[in-house]
Amino acid sequence: MANGNGHITPVEVDLTDQGITEHLSHKVFAFDRRLAYAMAGLGVLFILGIIGFVMRAVGDGFSDASRHEWGYYAAMFAFLLCTAGTAPLVAVAFRWTKNHWRRPLSRASEMFALVGILNLLWFIPLMALLPAIDLNGDGHLEVGVDRRTVWFEGPIGAPLWWDMAAMIGLVVCGLAILWVSARPDMSVVAARGSGWRAALMRKLAMGWQGTKRDWRRQQAFLAMLGGFYFMLLILVHTLVSLDFALSLVPGWKDSILAPHHALTGIQAAAGTVLVTIFVMRTWGGYGRYIGLDPFWAFSKVLLGLTLLWGYFWFSEFMTFWYGRDPTEQSVIKLVMFESYRTAFLLNFFFSFVIPFGLLLWNGVRKSVLGPTIAGASVIIGAFFMMVRLYVPAFNIRDVGAHSIADFEAGVGQAIPSQLLPVTPDVWDVFIILGGLSGTALIFLLGTRLLPVMSMWETKEGLLYMLVRPLLKGRYMVLGKPD
Amino acid sequence: MQEGRSLTDREINRGLLNSLYQNPKWYWGSVTLLGVIVLGAMAAAGYMINQGLGVTGLNRPVMWGFFITNFVFWIGISHAGVMLSAILRLSKAEWRRPATRAAEVLTVFSLMTAMLMPFIHAGRPWRLFYWVFPYDWARGVFPNVRSALIWDPSAVFTYLTSSILFVYIALLPDLAVIRDRSTGVRRTIYSVLCLGWKGNSRQWKLQIIAGILLSALILPVFVSVHSIVSFDFSMAIAVKSWHSTIFPPYFVIGAVHSGVAAVVIVMALMRWLFHWHDYVRPEHFDALGRLLIVVATGWFFFFVMEFLFGLYGLEGDEISVKDFLTAQAPWSWWFITFVGTTYFIPVGMWLFKSVRRNPWLMVVACVSVNIGMWLERFLIIVPGLAQKQLFNFAWYTYAPSPVEVVIIIGTFALVSMLMLLFAKVFPLIPIYDIKEGEILKQEIKIGRRTVPAVIRED
Amino acid sequence: MAKQSVLGLYQNAEYAAEAGDALQAAGLTKDDYDFLTGAPYPEGAFGERHVSHRLYVFPFVGALCGLTAGILLTSMTQMAYPLVTGGKPILSLPPMAIVTYEGTMLGAILFTVLGILFESRLPRPSLGLYDDRITEGYIGVIVTCEDNQAGRVEQVLTQAGAVDVKRGEAS
Repeated sequence: MANGNGHITPVEVDLTDQGITEHLSHKVFAFDRRLAYAMAGLGVLFILGIIGFVMRAVGDGFSDASRHEWGYYAAMFAFLLCTAGTAPLVAVAFRWTKNHWRRPLSRASEMFALVGILNLLWFIPLMALLPAIDLNGDGHLEVGVDRRTVWFEGPIGAPLWWDMAAMIGLVVCGLAILWVSARPDMSVVAARGSGWRAALMRKLAMGWQGTKRDWRRQQAFLAMLGGFYFMLLILVHTLVSLDFALSLVPGWKDSILAPHHALTGIQAAAGTVLVTIFVMRTWGGYGRYIGLDPFWAFSKVLLGLTLLWGYFWFSEFMTFWYGRDPTEQSVIKLVMFESYRTAFLLNFFFSFVIPFGLLLWNGVRKSVLGPTIAGASVIIGAFFMMVRLYVPAFNIRDVGAHSIADFEAGVGQAIPSQLLPVTPDVWDVFIILGGLSGTALIFLLGTRLLPVMSMWETKEGLLYMLVRPLLKGRYMVLGKPD
Repeated sequence: MQEGRSLTDREINRGLLNSLYQNPKWYWGSVTLLGVIVLGAMAAAGYMINQGLGVTGLNRPVMWGFFITNFVFWIGISHAGVMLSAILRLSKAEWRRPATRAAEVLTVFSLMTAMLMPFIHAGRPWRLFYWVFPYDWARGVFPNVRSALIWDPSAVFTYLTSSILFVYIALLPDLAVIRDRSTGVRRTIYSVLCLGWKGNSRQWKLQIIAGILLSALILPVFVSVHSIVSFDFSMAIAVKSWHSTIFPPYFVIGAVHSGVAAVVIVMALMRWLFHWHDYVRPEHFDALGRLLIVVATGWFFFFVMEFLFGLYGLEGDEISVKDFLTAQAPWSWWFITFVGTTYFIPVGMWLFKSVRRNPWLMVVACVSVNIGMWLERFLIIVPGLAQKQLFNFAWYTYAPSPVEVVIIIGTFALVSMLMLLFAKVFPLIPIYDIKEGEILKQEIKIGRRTVPAVIRED
Repeated sequence: MAKQSVLGLYQNAEYAAEAGDALQAAGLTKDDYDFLTGAPYPEGAFGERHVSHRLYVFPFVGALCGLTAGILLTSMTQMAYPLVTGGKPILSLPPMAIVTYEGTMLGAILFTVLGILFESRLPRPSLGLYDDRITEGYIGVIVTCEDNQAGRVEQVLTQAGAVDVKRGEAS
């Protein structure tokens, strides 16, 4: 906000401890007609998703032979991992860096840990679809016969059970972060409400009293769990991208894929949180907690992530393009320039061109709508990226081949049939819709139990964010506790 | 995090300009010693140019050795400047204040030194003229824009120009401080250099915006520079273990790792040499230590990916390179040293707050990082080139000759000497930045505790 | 009538800020006076005049120039020396992108630096009315006024607590 001089004056904080407690605990229990309609609609879509899944399972089954039918299902899994699965990282990261503007968005991002349960269930069928490492079962690896994987000879249970263990670790760690962070608020909700929800919250609060010891332990646990979450997240992105995309495409040797996948996840998670706080601010009735600050500050981070996305992509593309190696050429033709050109172009525009073009301008960054549009754009971009990575990978039957450059096109074909683009059928569309609506539904259900705005962090903010005069001006003063 | 006492402007001027006005005995002695080493290196380079590259240890197929390793190493160090001053400026980290100038100046000098390496390595440096400049100098032949070796000079030139301008613009207010404290010829020189800086509201406003804007513009250049250096290797498919898509970010994060570590060393040294205990405080080392844990761990992830994908393809030649690197002495010893000194030793140290807050232990950890990062570049370049692969009997390893060793030592002396000379004429800690920090410093009283706070404009 | 400059020096930033108010009360406008400081105070701390600038135009113009130069340089050298290397097309876009990118950034940075100097109104051949103590922590209030007002201004500045007041030709 600019005063007559064109100087910026900070927003005066007009919240009180009492007001925050009352308003936010009221929001948990209040019945809201619009919210109920929204949840009903999402429920219907989610059921459609389940129908889609059942039809696919009944019609095609889970086996090596039906893997090609599950490409979009796998892409949707990866997409959920990138958005909801990665979103809690936002809370973790900005708590580490002690940014005050994170306060209105940290609970919303942690709440996505609940969606991890859906993501975990989603993973189970994928386990049945992954071909073995040792394809001919003779006990040793041979190029051109067996599959290349990052597991090489494969320790016991590799890769499936290791991937599953990492997934479980990630989801449990996310839920633990949510629980540790929400315990103070749970005790407030328990004290202010009645009925089964209050009783459940009382149980979950596990005797939170707010003593100095309680708070110190909470801080320590959050820091530690945050570290674990970050490492597990990178691990899961690495394992999923390498086991379910890269190692299914013979000859695809791409060391930047895992970091790029993780980066896309972080970028999409940033988008998810931005869109979520936009919805909360516009329709959720949380406008007084969410100022311009989180959008403005977060959009700079999103701009940085977007630039990194472009950079990682260029590193991959340039190395493959320059090398002129037939295998690498056919890989970039498959996932970028021929078979999945449409998905790639959409991916590139939505993940890079649009957010970059928007966020380059300070005027756009310093608005509510601008960062939200950029955020929505990177979510869409991430979806198409997952499509162009996982759908082609799941459609390759001959996973033990030496290189996809060796695949031969049939008579009258320009591209070998295994490398042809696949469009989603009706069940795929149902599954995609189910994934999206399931995520939103679980999130909304979460808001019926816990305040989606962290009470204790908002109140803590009141202590450390003040407006003070210096000579003739008034400025925001930010406290920096250790 | 704010420790240390409040300082008046007068005290800050006196404290930070003591590198200019005091003449301790060690100063000229050290400069002379470093100068002698640099002269020795110049003599060695002269001898090499006279005798030919045969006096080095380079031989087919290992035609890139210590010189190119050192080139990549110094380019890497140069990434500290922008990393610290730009990223920390943009994220408005208060603890950046005493670190920015030294980091930027280190960038400039290490880049200049880095660029000496290909010149020396070329054997006949004057011929680089044909390589770098995209003009048709009477041969009818243009440099090949499609070659990664042409991208390099364009990136480094851009980076060097920008860094010098960045340092200069941020130096303007400090030059005015020196102007006001000097007389005679010296005053005239600094008056010209500071372009008539007065410190009015327009100049300060632009100065602050300049810091942010130039940071934002230099960051993409900084990322591109080491990426393009990595393209020198990763574009080639002929050398096994080089052609990997992760190379650009792997090089950049490695550069940041070694560069920030180098800044820590410089900061500890200047704190000790110029008695800047009030400015460079344990809290700054603590913050840098935490940052380094993150950077080092990020680097380690990229390193694991790079290594993993060397084996992933199950191609005999690539596996031979990794085997050569990890299982054949002495290379395996170098490899173990590299991984230990780059990651496990320093990160193990940084996990302890008492280490992070101790400047000398931080120096030990950071020297370890730089030993490791030097070895990293060496171990990327040479084992790949050595071509010790199945059915290849034309392989050869590499051992540096004394000429190369002297030149390498000379580059370290050169950067140190340039830093010392810079400190004699310009303040290595931005005076105005420290003063601004004092103005913005606040406290918030909560109950009986006083929490440090800072005024945030926006 | 000739213009004059008056410089009041304050040891205390509060007094300097008050001097600004006093000058306004004496009938001067914000455009007539400015504050000289040895360190950047937060914008608006002295209630000083608003500084407008167009610095953000410079990097875009520079980037455009650099981009054009980069494209011309890379495409023309490639076309002028048509040698196929590594099976790549003569006019290869990806390698062009790199040199062009560096050119763009170089252009943007060079223009930004020029823009900073231009918008800061530097270099300035003469320093005008100035005092060395400003870089020592004193705050200077510099007023540009008509000849006949100078005495009055001096009085206002002194009353506001100036430790020293100087007068000189307006620069």
